[in-house]
Amino acid sequence: MQANQITGIAKKNEEEGISLAVNSVPAVGIPRAMLYYRYGILWEHFFQTLGVSTMLSPPGSRGILEAGTKLAPDESCLSMKMFMGHVDTLIGKCDSIFIPRYSNYGYTELFCTRYEGIYDQTRNIFRASGQRFITCNIDAQNGSPEPKAFEQFGVELGFSARESRHAWREASRALKQHQKAEEHAQKELASRPGMKILIAGHSYVLSDAYLGKPILDYLDAAGTISLRADAPEPETARKVCAKFSPTCRWLVSEEIVGGVLMWKDQVDGIILVSAFPCGPDSMTNELLVRRIKGIPILTLVLDTQSGMAGIETRIESFLDIIRFQKGEMG
Amino acid sequence: MKQERKAALPRYGEYNCALKYLVEQGFETKCILPPPLSRRTEDLGAKNSPDLVCTPFKTTLGSMIEALEAGADTIIMVLGACRLNYFGELQEQILRDLGYTFDFINLSIYNTGKKRDILRALKGINPRCSMVKAGKALYEAVQMIEHLDDITSLYYQNCGFDPTGTYPKIYRQFISDMYAAQNLAEIREGYRNASRAFAEITLHKPQDPIRIGIIGDYYTVMDPFSNLEIEQKLADMGVEVHRLMNITNDMLRNSEKNKQAKIREFSEYSMGASSTSDLWQAQNFAERGFDGLIQVKSACCMPETDIMPVLANLSQDYKMPVLYLTYDTQSSDVGLTTRLEAFYDMVEMRKKVAH
Repeated sequence: MQANQITGIAKKNEEEGISLAVNSVPAVGIPRAMLYYRYGILWEHFFQTLGVSTMLSPPGSRGILEAGTKLAPDESCLSMKMFMGHVDTLIGKCDSIFIPRYSNYGYTELFCTRYEGIYDQTRNIFRASGQRFITCNIDAQNGSPEPKAFEQFGVELGFSARESRHAWREASRALKQHQKAEEHAQKELASRPGMKILIAGHSYVLSDAYLGKPILDYLDAAGTISLRADAPEPETARKVCAKFSPTCRWLVSEEIVGGVLMWKDQVDGIILVSAFPCGPDSMTNELLVRRIKGIPILTLVLDTQSGMAGIETRIESFLDIIRFQKGEMG
Repeated sequence: MKQERKAALPRYGEYNCALKYLVEQGFETKCILPPPLSRRTEDLGAKNSPDLVCTPFKTTLGSMIEALEAGADTIIMVLGACRLNYFGELQEQILRDLGYTFDFINLSIYNTGKKRDILRALKGINPRCSMVKAGKALYEAVQMIEHLDDITSLYYQNCGFDPTGTYPKIYRQFISDMYAAQNLAEIREGYRNASRAFAEITLHKPQDPIRIGIIGDYYTVMDPFSNLEIEQKLADMGVEVHRLMNITNDMLRNSEKNKQAKIREFSEYSMGASSTSDLWQAQNFAERGFDGLIQVKSACCMPETDIMPVLANLSQDYKMPVLYLTYDTQSSDVGLTTRLEAFYDMVEMRKKVAH
């Protein structure tokens, strides 16, 4: 009954732009997965400034991943399966679900093809549900750079171009501030004494409550300080990566590779975490392992079946090796 | 004085004839053909590649190793829209780690959106070559590719209905003519001979034969070794095999925006690399009333995996069965034959019921 009502609202809104919370149903649902961990602050502030109510899917869990695994194609990456699980939790609970399409910021700043197809893929997977999906198309190569894309998106939602521009400016300021805060936190961590481990991986893997957080928690419990390669100074990281690997054009991977290079001299070991079978990671991690010498590197690939026990054992023996090298163990 | 350069490109279907022509006639540089792809090529590639990279990476890496063994001292690598852009750099690193000494011309470095930069990269093959000559050879190589695609598509559409059994012979002769061609006249002559020979054969084709369309990623679908000769297998069952995915249709005469507009209902934006073409072709086959569709993709191919839900919806709307095939470095094609036979039986049965 309720689902029908909501579908009705969604249908009505297709003609009228977007509603601001009808019948206490939030207007926009945001899946807490994939690029949310990178741009979430930007999106939330954008909607907030415009006065659109939002709803976030719950933190990642085993149940969400299992639901997503059933929905996504078998060969999709783990993060994509997680994403579909998150979308599933939002179906019928909000007016529209926001799935932006990040294609590129220009010829040298591309995104993985997964983010390019994510909107259309989700739309097709959930076609039978009748749920409405909205997107913001960021594709600078085809005349739609980020500010313009958000302006257009705001206009499509029924706001004026001026309001939309203002909202985007506010949102990107908030994102910058957040990045600065992360930078400071990381620098503070790095100045502490103790064994330091650099964790490199996509933020949507590392920050996910089900995928990456157990690893970070385990490292904390083991008494090490974990630094993140995806956190600090994206601009600098990209420049560092451009020198190290000139043809690496995936924006997100560039920042991770750059982050690894920037921090590698301050840590005792590096853990490369990737989701099975991540396309960019399969290549950049190989290059990192081949080109970085003289520091222990552990590669962890997470898949739908990972229990923590196997991963804990591997991290434990990795930490033992580092301690042994440093002469802390007999 | 420096020794004469011996360049090589990894094997890519039969397109090496055109690539060889361009390098030899246009850049006046000797071009080494790597040995035909074999089990050994794949093993060499798989052994030295990261596990989770797509199969074309492994196959081309194996082919590069075989080219170096065959005496090449320069490897040329192309660029592309997906992970292909990054193939070159990682493959170069792997080959150097294996201890090979060679020059590496990676066209991907010059992928800046300006055509001028690509020309500069090509000039690296032979700095003293004349750009006029290179341009002329490029035009002729493009002609060769168009002829090759034309004859190939004609071959697979008809060879299952040839009572004389001379189709394969004509096709093989045409391919070897293309590899041997030294100028435009020879290319055209080879093409004319093959078309004439094909036209002379009276086909035993039923009024309404079973037609199956094939789509897939740029490498696997165009390379018969990589897809375990799926087109030949289908043709041998008496199927008219159609494949629109080739260099002519997808790179030389491509109009991505128009294709995207036609498939708007299923996919509003490009889903990366080959996806737009694939979906447009699938819809095109469906509209023409094809009996089935086969998606040929390599394991871990990102855009091809992403379009699977779209293909499922398309199949549902147009009532056209789809067979999804994923290729890895397999050692046996028995599994493929079984699946193709089952698909053929199902398609044939549907056709009988429909009549």
